[in-house]
Amino acid sequence: MRSLLLILLLAATTTSFAQKPKKNVIIKYKKYESFDLGNLEIKGKIIAPGDLSVKERQRKRFSRPLFERDHFDPEVRTDIQNLR
Amino acid sequence: MKYLSLIITFLMLAETHALVRKASEYYDKSNDRNKNAYIAQELYKSRYYFSSVVFAKEHLIEGKTFSKEFENLLEELVLKTGTMSFYGLNPRVLSRYPSPSLKFILGLRQFNYKNYEAAIKALEGVPEEHRFAPEAFFMKGSAQNLINQLGAAQKSYNTCIEKADTFENRAKNTKLKRYFAIVKESCIIHKARLLFKDRKYAAALKAYEEIPKTSYRWPYILMEKAWSAYHLGNYNRTLGILVTYRSPLMKSYFFPEAEVLSALSYFKLCLWGDSLNLVNQYYSVYRPHSDALKSILLKEKSSHTYFLKMLLKPIKEMEDMNPFVRNLMTQVRKRVKFSLDLVNFQKAQNELKFIKKLKKSALQQKMLEAVNGAISWRTKHLNHYIKKQMFGFINDMHRFSYEMFNIKLEVMSLKRDLVYDNQKLISNRSRGSHENISRTSTEHFFEFNGEFWADELGEYSFGLKSNCKRVDKVKKVSQSKRGRR
Repeated sequence: MRSLLLILLLAATTTSFAQKPKKNVIIKYKKYESFDLGNLEIKGKIIAPGDLSVKERQRKRFSRPLFERDHFDPEVRTDIQNLR
Repeated sequence: MKYLSLIITFLMLAETHALVRKASEYYDKSNDRNKNAYIAQELYKSRYYFSSVVFAKEHLIEGKTFSKEFENLLEELVLKTGTMSFYGLNPRVLSRYPSPSLKFILGLRQFNYKNYEAAIKALEGVPEEHRFAPEAFFMKGSAQNLINQLGAAQKSYNTCIEKADTFENRAKNTKLKRYFAIVKESCIIHKARLLFKDRKYAAALKAYEEIPKTSYRWPYILMEKAWSAYHLGNYNRTLGILVTYRSPLMKSYFFPEAEVLSALSYFKLCLWGDSLNLVNQYYSVYRPHSDALKSILLKEKSSHTYFLKMLLKPIKEMEDMNPFVRNLMTQVRKRVKFSLDLVNFQKAQNELKFIKKLKKSALQQKMLEAVNGAISWRTKHLNHYIKKQMFGFINDMHRFSYEMFNIKLEVMSLKRDLVYDNQKLISNRSRGSHENISRTSTEHFFEFNGEFWADELGEYSFGLKSNCKRVDKVKKVSQSKRGRR
């Protein structure tokens, strides 16, 4: 019984290692195919608004930073430099 | 009487020579550790102040002793020769002694190096009753102001005003009286600046009002008053204050910033045409000024004497000079610091003449070297001061030219927006009216009739109406069509 099992196992391994002969596979693509997108049907529910709308708003206007005086620190310094 | 005065002069000269001889003997022989202090004292007594400074400084550097008499000598020397005589000493030497005079100089030095906290600490060493107290509190307040300790700064300025007032009343000399009056006014102005920084513009304006029109500082504060009015939104008052600079009395004053502020005020009133006119005028007026200054500065920028010599020229010789440069020189001459330094410079030159007449000795040689060194240093210092003022002016002109360009761009951009929106401003040119003038109870009112009167200066206000209202161009056209029908 043991020898029979061994023979069977050997036979199985030899068949798995045996290579099949290569076939010459040629893939052919369609040279021309056209789709009529207008004819295609899509099934489903519309959940987005039907038309695009833009809310009118005032455009932000950026102005240049014009000269401003917040302090007279440079003059304070100069006054001390001019002391005695 | 003539004989008496001759005798007195002779006696004084004899005494001076005796004191110098005494100092000379000490210089040659003595090994005393107070030798330099003693020589400084003797030279001071014989009125060789600049020579005395050298020995006083050597005594301070040696650091052997420090007496009350020596402190009195230092105080007198600072008064006679100026703070600059001891300014170059190492801060460690200046802080080593319990001397209010040295602490004052240390405070000034730290302030100029922008070490404001160190300056405040040094100035705390000047007692309230000291001769330098008004200036010390003025400087301390300014240091506190610059590090935003506004409350403490206000207190220091108040003490300065109080002390300067006391010293002014106590002074017998007219020049000294005037000096303390200027210190007092400077503290008032700084207080006003403090309020301005704190955005209390109305209070700042009130503080500026305390400066009398006769003060030499008055023309300078007009600009600051104009800024306060500008921040309060009173553009008509701003324009009125600034028009004062166009009076013949103020011919020698140039403030490129005043032109920018005027253009800004017109801009705020939406009088864009007037704004643009000022911008164009700025370029046409200040460009020749800048070119004239540049031609002098670039040619002589490395000279150590040219500018001082130019300033010391008699007025007749200055007539062929560009009037603008001449006026700028007048402005520099009016600065207190410059006048004091110039007086000290002339004193040093006089002292040199007397030293040359002394009998030749080792001490005389040393005095010659010291005073020659002081004169050379002071010449460079004064020359640098004038040059710096001129460079400062050129830089200001260019800086404000950039600001003017910005205003021009902004006006153009706003004009473009108006065209895109199919709108226009309510009128092309706003007309003046008394209704548009706002004034406080302390502000005077005069009508301007094409002439500047001295008592009216600084009190002007324009009466322009704001032109900022936009109207629809189409509507206006259709309305006018309807009107014709």
